[in-house]
Amino acid sequence: MPNWIKFFFALWLLLPGVSVAQGVEPPLLTVAAPGKTIDEAYESLLRAIGQHNYTFVRDQAIDSRLVPQQWETKNLRIVYFCNFNKMDRALSTDIRAAQFLPCRITLIETAGGVEMVAINPAWTSIVLGNPLLHPQCLELKQDYLAIMEEAAL
Amino acid sequence: MTRLLMALLLAGQALMVQPVQADPQIVSKRIEMRQAMDDLAIAAANHGMQLVKVQPIDQALVKRGFDNPHVRLIFINSEVAVRWAEAADPRLLNLLPMRFVLLQQGDLITVMVDDLAAWKSYYRDSPGLTVLNAWEIELREVLADFLAQCTRG
Repeated sequence: MPNWIKFFFALWLLLPGVSVAQGVEPPLLTVAAPGKTIDEAYESLLRAIGQHNYTFVRDQAIDSRLVPQQWETKNLRIVYFCNFNKMDRALSTDIRAAQFLPCRITLIETAGGVEMVAINPAWTSIVLGNPLLHPQCLELKQDYLAIMEEAAL
Repeated sequence: MTRLLMALLLAGQALMVQPVQADPQIVSKRIEMRQAMDDLAIAAANHGMQLVKVQPIDQALVKRGFDNPHVRLIFINSEVAVRWAEAADPRLLNLLPMRFVLLQQGDLITVMVDDLAAWKSYYRDSPGLTVLNAWEIELREVLADFLAQCTRG
């Protein structure tokens, strides 16, 4: 049997296992920053974003432009950021990557500190059903976790 | 014979890695990007929602020397949606503002929204499920309104 047939057969056998493994991805990634205020967590997050080769894009309150600025919710802030190389690669692979790019982390102030939450791109790629996009989403997930864990320190 | 075998293997694999959930809601119409954004803003307003941000990721990528993906993002939100989410299940706030992806292919604009159905199992034991169901209907109606403006135009 030619090698390339063996290769595709092996791939065929392996991918369902990958698919099953994908099923265990949680929809949300959450990292706690105990003892921090939302302003402290925000500053740490911006530093961590830069240190991981991402660019800060913008931030907003959850009710931004819905209520006067002075009434905006103060205990929840959304931060958008991007690595344009990765965005270009992901959009070239599957234009639907625009559904989860640029990256977003939501900061939520709680009684004990701040929670940082992001939608898990690896879960999203399962929903989109494109195995070619999935490796990039796994990499993105690791970046999210690294950024949030660093910001939590 | 070997090519047929490979085709069968890949087809079988493709069936096995089908998305676990349905595709996002998608509609298309022949229109300029500027007009599409205006129509979408009007469609959102007709359903008590407001355009809160336009994110021209096409321009952002081109400015940095990447190919133009011809994609823009529009974010819509409503104060009612925010307060419902806060009351029912604050995890829902990660889905707000709602994201619309506008993809330009020649004179055809395709609009995609998040597949909220994919989130239902995550919120199945939460009051958030009712909110999610309501948002799903609203998003469908906004898209239908967007298309209806097309037929009028």
